[in-house]
Amino acid sequence: MMEAIHADRISKRFRLGTLGEHQRLTEALSKSVRRWISRSGSTTSETKEFWALKEVNFRIAQGEVVGIIGHNGAGKSTLLKILSRIVTPTSGRVGVRGRVGSLLEVGTGFHPELTGRENIFLNGAILGMKRSEIRQRFDQIVAFAEVEKFLDTPVKRYSSGMTVRLGFSVAAHMEPDVLIIDEVLSVGDQAFQNRCMGKASELGSQGRTILVVSHNLAAISNICTRAMLLDHGTISIDGTPQQAIERYLQGMRADTGIAQWDSTSAPGSNEIQLRSVAVRNTGTERATNSVAIDQPIRIEITYDVLQDQIVNAVQIHLKDENGVFILSSGNAPSMSLSADPTFGTPIRRGTYTTTCELPANFLNDSRYVVSVLLGPELGKPSVACESVLAFSVTDTGAMRKEFLGSWYGPVIRPRLGWETHKIENEDDERHKQR
Amino acid sequence: MVTNRVAGDEKSETASTRPFIYYGQPDPFGMGQIREAWAGRELLLSFFQRDLLIRYRQVFVGVVWVLVQPLLGTLIFLMLFHFLGADQGTNEAPRSRWRDASVILIGMLFWQLVNNSLRDATGSLVNYRHVITKIYFPRMLLPLSSLLCALFDLLVGLILLVPVVWFSSTGFSNTGVEWWRVLFALPALAWLVVFCFGAILWLSSLNAQYRDVGYALPFVLQIGMFLSPVVYGYERVLKALSPTWQILYSANPVASCIGIARWAILGAPLPPLLGILFAGFLTVVLVLSGLVWFQRSNQWMADRI
Repeated sequence: MMEAIHADRISKRFRLGTLGEHQRLTEALSKSVRRWISRSGSTTSETKEFWALKEVNFRIAQGEVVGIIGHNGAGKSTLLKILSRIVTPTSGRVGVRGRVGSLLEVGTGFHPELTGRENIFLNGAILGMKRSEIRQRFDQIVAFAEVEKFLDTPVKRYSSGMTVRLGFSVAAHMEPDVLIIDEVLSVGDQAFQNRCMGKASELGSQGRTILVVSHNLAAISNICTRAMLLDHGTISIDGTPQQAIERYLQGMRADTGIAQWDSTSAPGSNEIQLRSVAVRNTGTERATNSVAIDQPIRIEITYDVLQDQIVNAVQIHLKDENGVFILSSGNAPSMSLSADPTFGTPIRRGTYTTTCELPANFLNDSRYVVSVLLGPELGKPSVACESVLAFSVTDTGAMRKEFLGSWYGPVIRPRLGWETHKIENEDDERHKQR
Repeated sequence: MVTNRVAGDEKSETASTRPFIYYGQPDPFGMGQIREAWAGRELLLSFFQRDLLIRYRQVFVGVVWVLVQPLLGTLIFLMLFHFLGADQGTNEAPRSRWRDASVILIGMLFWQLVNNSLRDATGSLVNYRHVITKIYFPRMLLPLSSLLCALFDLLVGLILLVPVVWFSSTGFSNTGVEWWRVLFALPALAWLVVFCFGAILWLSSLNAQYRDVGYALPFVLQIGMFLSPVVYGYERVLKALSPTWQILYSANPVASCIGIARWAILGAPLPPLLGILFAGFLTVVLVLSGLVWFQRSNQWMADRI
């Protein structure tokens, strides 16, 4: 089989501290002078090192559709950036055959002042398409994005949905030999996501090599022929999607029911950082990954607000093991039993905990995965943490007094109102007939 | 039907016919980037088009702005020198005003190329970091696009130069335009473009790591304008400086380029030959070192920008 991608022992080191900060020229000069004066390697201990990837090794054959899964910070994005040549690995090398298209973001390089038509050409060129190719596929791109009427309107006047559709449409028509897709498919509404997935599997069936990172386990198991699980910068399993997903969930099962971050690794923006997400039964102090079915379940989201006057909305998504989306809820008045006063009002700097309580006797005895979204508005998260935490609901026997088998199948198992009334007395009827 | 044909073409050159290539082939002199930039010339055109389009979006008089800057600059300096009594030439005849104007205008147009390309290119990578960290493309194209825009401005500005030089030459047969010599203005311009290319390779990639560059640049450009014969002629330089200093002064490639262009168009005195050679040497060093440095910085650009 023809090789399409070869990752040859790639490693990537980041230096914490200096990373992301824009070093000043004077600092760099004074540092190098100091290094020269001391003439010893003592400066290496000054910065903390962090290996995002360690000796990652794999070969992908042409036509394979490979999914990459893993926790936040496992190195997935770094791997994709190295494979798409954006970032140079600290050691090791990457080889590819043919044209590589990478889609780490939808609408990369869109300029708000330019019209839809101009942006199609600009974005297409950035993605590596030739002008003639764009011209030939122009009508298809416009039709897929459904923006015919707004072609000569500046993109700054587009709705966010239109911008995303246009961005994906251009990318979907680039037809590279190797396509690298990051979490982009998690933007947009469900219908759009389905369409994106459809397009991805269509490209896969055309014999193109596809690498996709997603937290959407259902999508991974549907469209991928192979999956890799990344764990702390190394590949812990490389096999069928089912194998990888199973191991991924097993890893979560060992969780303690709480996901915590320190300030350097916390996911977030410069306004908000997520500090911890915990699951516990109401009334108990300890976080647990196994909650009782007959107790209310509390999901506690703790976050630091780093700037004053931040408007924040908290939202959770709940999915089951197969990636089936069960519920989405937020602290908006329309979605909660009692109004949360901090919703929609500017809050001051500090650490906050928002708690969501799921009712008792509601979920089935199965495993559930929590995603947390923080941002100025519901539906417009600035921090989106997919699949941060998994917990299992265990049946304590409270709901299976009559039936001892497993409740296989249903996602939720609420106690509903059941009543039986006698409408007519059978004896009376018989009397009448006689 | 058209699309069917495209699909067919695609199939005829599938991935299997393409070679397997490892990223980051050894490229110690940075020459691979030039090949890469050439391969990405369509993208360069797109960037250039974008820069032009954005510049004239929601602008009322449009391209006229390109002419206003050198025109006003020339007028201001002309008036300034007139009131200060420091005319460029010594001739009292009214025609000499036109000659002064053409001296300043040539300086202004050339300087505008340096000023605009360096100014825009320095920030070009940083302003585009959201794209640089999301997708790979030949990054050299971004500063190059700024250079193209500045070159475009200069070519538009040449419209001004033609009538001004025309008026300045008709009155003085001895300093009139000689067509064979005007052709020498082209290599001078090409040289200046090459110089700017070397400078922006350094500036844009340095600015990606050290934002100080962006802050220091306006100041440096301002000094550079007065260290180069932009608003004054080479005659003054030759009159004021000793031969050694003349050579050092001409080692500034901008000074030499402007000097040669004025000689070619107006028949003004040439800068000293040794100075020109020195300036040429510096330009070569700047471009080659710029290519090597840009290639190096390309490897950490997405991490540190």
